[in-house]
Amino acid sequence: VKAHIDKDRCTGHGRCYVLAPDVVTDDEFGYGQILGDGTVPPEYADATRRAAEACPEQAFTVTE
Amino acid sequence: MTMTDSGFRLEDAPMARDRTDGWRHVRAAGDVVRTADGIYLLTSTEAVQFAHRHPEIFSSARAFDSLASPVPLIPIAIDPPDHTRYRRILDPMLAPKVINGMEEELRRQARELILAFADRGHCDIVDDLARLYPTQVFLTLFGMPLADRDRFIHWAETIIENSNPNSQAEVAPEVIETAMELFGYLQKCVDEKRANPGEDMLSRVLSFTGDEAWSNEEVLGLCFLFILAGLDTVTAVIGFMFQHLTAQPDVRRRLVEQPDAVQPIVEEVIRLEPPAPLTPRVTTQDVDVCGTLIPAGSPVTLCLGTVNRDPQRFPHPDVLDPDHGDSGHRGFGGGIHRCLGSHLARRELRIIAEEFHKLIPDYELAPGADPHIVWPSGTFHLTSLPIVFPATGRA
Repeated sequence: VKAHIDKDRCTGHGRCYVLAPDVVTDDEFGYGQILGDGTVPPEYADATRRAAEACPEQAFTVTE
Repeated sequence: MTMTDSGFRLEDAPMARDRTDGWRHVRAAGDVVRTADGIYLLTSTEAVQFAHRHPEIFSSARAFDSLASPVPLIPIAIDPPDHTRYRRILDPMLAPKVINGMEEELRRQARELILAFADRGHCDIVDDLARLYPTQVFLTLFGMPLADRDRFIHWAETIIENSNPNSQAEVAPEVIETAMELFGYLQKCVDEKRANPGEDMLSRVLSFTGDEAWSNEEVLGLCFLFILAGLDTVTAVIGFMFQHLTAQPDVRRRLVEQPDAVQPIVEEVIRLEPPAPLTPRVTTQDVDVCGTLIPAGSPVTLCLGTVNRDPQRFPHPDVLDPDHGDSGHRGFGGGIHRCLGSHLARRELRIIAEEFHKLIPDYELAPGADPHIVWPSGTFHLTSLPIVFPATGRA
């Protein structure tokens, strides 16, 4: 499972780093920033999927 | 769906006592509805999302022309490219990391307000807490004296109650007079901060020099937008949160017993009761939305209230269900104009929820209370929410 943020779509709602804090963090603008290369450890996969669902801009996505 | 032009009037929606009936009424009118006033209402998720993704077609700047503000409302009444520049400057000032630094002080203030009535056994959530706290937070953020809170609230409420961007009505003379008093006050604060800068947000904005320096009008415009957008909105959600918690004691118990539940409950309240659920735009060109042609220059209203209750997205769209508190609502809008203060607003709501329930875990609606909002209105907020509880005697 891999997480990705489309920077053109992200407008900084900040749901991703609240719901999947082990996969995404917040940058100085309050926008999401993927930690590492975006590979999601299995124990965080559910949280990451929830974060993708919660993204109001569909900017944060997960590929299985 | 084709365009509906059935003489639909938004003000006929039964909103005052239950937004569930109100939003159903609006949503049932169609995806894109031309109202009797000639405003195009976008009610479906698809339509609103399309508008959020195309700010060049749905101009926020042009929608605020009719408000006749004496200063530019930065950044909401600004279109790209200037909008992008302002947000790059302002977003970091309201990022979660910055708010973390304020949290302790904001918590202290919340506790102080709650302790003032905790031993009384009753309070009005709106008057004793919800109207006071967001203004204190604003004054704290901008480094202005808390002692000026009450006159500040008077100014802000007078202006907000009379400035509905969804209405074309003339501005009353007493509102202009109040606005001038407020501007006089803000100008005095700005001048003082220029002379004696602090660590606050206003001082930071004033510290820019050279090409990056803000004009006096820009600074006042930013202050004015914070007042128009950041006070009564949070006031409103605090009121709605306690209304829902009195109506659903099981959710209240969960909030008290499970610290993790606070955040999804706050999200659910914002989803169900977005305080500014009707956001205005004006089209810059002819545009087809869900099969309806909207001509250039048309006033458009994006209905966040209906989008947030989309049954395709939420299993129980009209119920406060902490289990869908992680779903993506649009209570803070979307696209480039996503609420600038959303991170601060969320923190204020979480702090109030946590501190209140630590001191007053059990309460109920006062007998005979009839919580309702003023309708029609640009922002939705309860006029009063009296509650009763066992006095703690701690104050």
